[in-house]
Amino acid sequence: MNKQIQDAYIVAATRLPVGRRKGMLGHVRPDDMLAHAIRSVMAQAPGLDPALVEDVIVGCAMPEAEQGMNVARIGLLLAGLPNSVPGITVNRFCASGVQAVAMAADRIRLGEADVMIGAGTETMSLMNQIMGNKIALNPAIFEKEENYSIAYGMGITAEKVAAQWKISRDDQDAFAVASNQKACAAIAAGHFRAEISPYAVKARVPNLRTSEVAVKEYLAENDEGPRSDSSLEGLARLRPVFAARGSVTAGNSSQMSDGAAAVLVVSEKIVKQFDLKPLARFAGFSVAGVAPEIMGIGPIEAIPRVLKQAGVRQDEVDWFELNEAFAAQSLAVMRTLDLDPAKVNPLGGAIALGHPLGATGAIRTATLVHGLQRTGQRYGMVTMCIGTGMGAAGLFEAIR
Amino acid sequence: MSNFIVRKAAVLGAGVMGAQIAAHLANAEVPVVLFDLPAKEGDPSGIVRKAIDALRKLEPSPLATKDRVTYIDAANYSQHLDQLQDCDLIIEAIAEKMEWKDDLYRQIAPFIAPTAIIASNTSGLSINRLSQGLPEALRSRFCGIHFFNPPRYMHLVELVATRSTDPSLLDNLESWLVSRLGKGIVRALDTPNFVANRVGVFSMLAVMHHTQRLGLGFDVVDSLTGPIIGRPKSATYRTADVVGLDTLAHVIKTMQDTLPEDPWHGYYGVPGWLAALIGKGALGQKTRCGIFRKDGRAIKVLDLSLQDYRDSAADIDPTVLAILKNRNPAEKFAQLRASEHPHAQFLWAIFRDIFHYTAFHLADIADNARDVDFAMRWGFGWAQGPFESWQAAGWQAIADAVKADIDAGRAMSPVPLPAWVFGPVAQAGVHTAQGSYSASADAYRPRSTLPVYRRQVFPERVLGEKAVAGTTVWENEGVRLWTLPQVDDGIAIVSIKTRNHTLGRDVIVGLQEAVARAETGYQGLVLWHEAPFAFGANLKEVAEAIAGGEFELLERYVAEFQNASMCLKYAKVPVVAAVQGMALGGGCEFLMHAAKRVIALESYIGLVEAGVGLIPAGGGCKEFAIRAAQYAAKTGGNDPFEFIQPVFMTIAMATVSKSGAQARELGFARETDKVVFNANELLYVALREARGLAEGGYYPRLSPRAIKVAGRTGIANCEMMLANMKEGGMISAHDYAVAKAAATALCGGDIETGSLVDEQWLLSVERKLFVELLKNPKTQQRIQHMLETGKPLRN
Repeated sequence: MNKQIQDAYIVAATRLPVGRRKGMLGHVRPDDMLAHAIRSVMAQAPGLDPALVEDVIVGCAMPEAEQGMNVARIGLLLAGLPNSVPGITVNRFCASGVQAVAMAADRIRLGEADVMIGAGTETMSLMNQIMGNKIALNPAIFEKEENYSIAYGMGITAEKVAAQWKISRDDQDAFAVASNQKACAAIAAGHFRAEISPYAVKARVPNLRTSEVAVKEYLAENDEGPRSDSSLEGLARLRPVFAARGSVTAGNSSQMSDGAAAVLVVSEKIVKQFDLKPLARFAGFSVAGVAPEIMGIGPIEAIPRVLKQAGVRQDEVDWFELNEAFAAQSLAVMRTLDLDPAKVNPLGGAIALGHPLGATGAIRTATLVHGLQRTGQRYGMVTMCIGTGMGAAGLFEAIR
Repeated sequence: MSNFIVRKAAVLGAGVMGAQIAAHLANAEVPVVLFDLPAKEGDPSGIVRKAIDALRKLEPSPLATKDRVTYIDAANYSQHLDQLQDCDLIIEAIAEKMEWKDDLYRQIAPFIAPTAIIASNTSGLSINRLSQGLPEALRSRFCGIHFFNPPRYMHLVELVATRSTDPSLLDNLESWLVSRLGKGIVRALDTPNFVANRVGVFSMLAVMHHTQRLGLGFDVVDSLTGPIIGRPKSATYRTADVVGLDTLAHVIKTMQDTLPEDPWHGYYGVPGWLAALIGKGALGQKTRCGIFRKDGRAIKVLDLSLQDYRDSAADIDPTVLAILKNRNPAEKFAQLRASEHPHAQFLWAIFRDIFHYTAFHLADIADNARDVDFAMRWGFGWAQGPFESWQAAGWQAIADAVKADIDAGRAMSPVPLPAWVFGPVAQAGVHTAQGSYSASADAYRPRSTLPVYRRQVFPERVLGEKAVAGTTVWENEGVRLWTLPQVDDGIAIVSIKTRNHTLGRDVIVGLQEAVARAETGYQGLVLWHEAPFAFGANLKEVAEAIAGGEFELLERYVAEFQNASMCLKYAKVPVVAAVQGMALGGGCEFLMHAAKRVIALESYIGLVEAGVGLIPAGGGCKEFAIRAAQYAAKTGGNDPFEFIQPVFMTIAMATVSKSGAQARELGFARETDKVVFNANELLYVALREARGLAEGGYYPRLSPRAIKVAGRTGIANCEMMLANMKEGGMISAHDYAVAKAAATALCGGDIETGSLVDEQWLLSVERKLFVELLKNPKTQQRIQHMLETGKPLRN
């Protein structure tokens, strides 16, 4: 049943370059990254009155500490949007960013709003622990063995997927090398230039010799993650991290990263009123649940659902931005759904480009809508697996 | 004597020795500037930075704690020589090339502070000759300072004076090296290779000579020259591989070049087979191939008759083995000499030639026999020095046997034994109550009277020296309570008497009695004995009770153990634990409960109960739970779990500290506890600490109440880690169960998070969990396995 009354159009989408954990954006706060993304995306629609923004929805997977206090509202105020613009932080772990874009689009599709921002921000450098600032698990999880999987780390789930879908270590490593090669080639060719809003980092660091505060300034322009020297031999030397006899290593897993992105979504009325040039039409979104211990296969459920919802065949999709949480789960998804490898992550994926959890969905949306424009392709999808067993998929149609 | 203080040191040369000497200085809280040549490309101090990085990866670690490297500054000779101006001690440790050292000395001379000491770590070059490279004004402050590899662990440092070295400077340096760096000092004479390497390298040459003469395999010889005769496990040929065959050849060459008059000079050469190995690049461990070669898991040995490597099989002849097991040294040597078996003949021959060699050279290479014996014990890891072995076997009998062999042309050199061997020494021996024999002075030399040695109540002794006895106050089968009136008769000392200092019923009862007696008659109590501090509870007693199904008895036993801990903690007089060597399980718990700890640098402390399927229940978990609550109360979040998490991993993984300093990091010791670098000073320092606490008006704190615990959520957090490790095949189901029990004890039991409990509650939680685990057949299997094999079972 589709109650949509109008289409939602993406008229601007931009992101910061993604930094390695403790790397170039290591000291940059998530609200500052978000503010920069919001400012930059608004700048791409000159003439559009910021007061028209109905709401700012921001995905964040660990909305606490530096990312707490409703980081969406803080980020938008720091970006200089008027006080009248509200903000909400949403969390669906690794899908938070695309979830935020989908929620923004939905408000428009329902006719409740004409201008929305969907965004994502995440710092994995400033957060104390990957699982958040303070771990506090429910003891009930361990009262029944069938609930143990709620507590599994993502690495263990990737091992389980590798075992169940028979994804060899060699295949995982080869996938990781390819991801790095594609990403390095894309950076060299300037394919990310249209979507990246460089970030001027200003870090206050102590000069212990002079007892003065030194201000380190540099421009973060390119993604920091990709390794041009990634090789099968090098990756083969890495030890499995999560299981004694496992195959998942630091080299064939996504990188921990820092990043943010913002996507401006508007109604047709706004497109016309402000003479905006849409990049894409938001064509659909779905989420599905799977067993937590094999969370990596989430997209296997989510992708067919969104295609059915939008009435689009899988072979009509030209570009899949499939988040590479792990090479093992990416390959399991690709093989099960028979995705054409040439259409998956043509510019590399999270193994090379990094995966700032809740920001990734918005970041890859920016990549996709600009990529479709550049290549002249029509349909593209942003899809990922989600911790505790879910998958999400957002479908976009390029507008020319 | 004014205070001698090293505020900062410099080490010149970032090779293996230089970098590790720098690390040990940093261990001792002395900041160091480590120098080397400027790199030709990139960072000019890149060579040193690489060497500092390498320190982190070395095993056994030269660093007492990982953060020590931050106290080593990287420097190079072209940019940073001005940094020498702040250094009170400069140790040169560059390659053994006289002209390079001369050059370097010329370069650094203008930057040396007027009071600094300059010392060379040369292992064999003439110190007098080296001093010529320095301006005259600096020569009185120059000496040799020869560390042994690895410098953190090898006790020996040879100090070598030149003709111009200021004697008081040398005394200061010796005192500092002994107390601050924990070293054993031998004052060596300025002769090639000094004492330990001179004798040690000759010993290797003698072994090589007799190996070849008797046609023995290198593997057999290593069996014969290892622990069975009181020498290190690496014996002779494996030691050569570890040292590096090229390095060994270099040291031999030094002897060949510099000792032309030596009666054994003909043996100062590299055997053909050794030269061939070096020629092929088979240099030992560093090239993974030398006299031995590792093929996968198998160790192969070079067989000269095959000109190839074969499986290593090294059985000692049973008749010879029987001789070696004879505890009477006189009989042992007589039987070895009389036996016709090549293994026995080999052993007699290597001892005979060492005795011959050291007796002949004693007058030239060392002041006295004690110095030679200590040099070999501390520098080469021998259990006894050559003179001790000789004297133990009967001086006259051995002297006659050696002489007979020389006369018969069986010894390596025909040169006769020196006359003093047959003089008064023949009756009294070289080590006597008056001191040790000096061949150059023809007198017995007493030990050094430097004040620093007064801090060693029980210094290392050579054969025949008597130890201080102390005055026994009370004792049972488990402990002795005594005093040392010459240091402090107001502080009692309690020492555990059991084998390996395991903690059985007698110890537990005895410690409580000792505390009670200390409270009534003394101002403090020190818990001290030689290493190991304690290997934990007496598992044999535990296994017997399990076999009898006496679990109630076991619970009472654990309660008694806890009482002993609490008794130490709440004694009305300060209890100071003086820890050295292994301090495991219950031993660790006892030391945690003392008012203060003084810990030898080489202390290996841990709660290792998980290895036998148990958890710490002598108050160990309880102490960590209390500390977590106390630390958390000082933070904004007041969440004890923050402090439980790292401890949980330490206990679950049975982590043992790799140094006394690391025990502080792991929480077994407190930040305010003292790390003592020379274990021989431990008792003295502990007595002084106890006295200080007593004089400071010591009183124990009341048992804490309202201890906030991490409770059920904390346990769940730990279980999350366990669930992942188990699913990843890293731990077994029983590992999980044991670790969960530890988590439960650390989190104060299966109660609501944030509950407030008292100390007795925590003790009862860990005690009940402990007894439950004892009932588990898998834990029982682990205990049995440990008793039978001495190794943990993973089931």
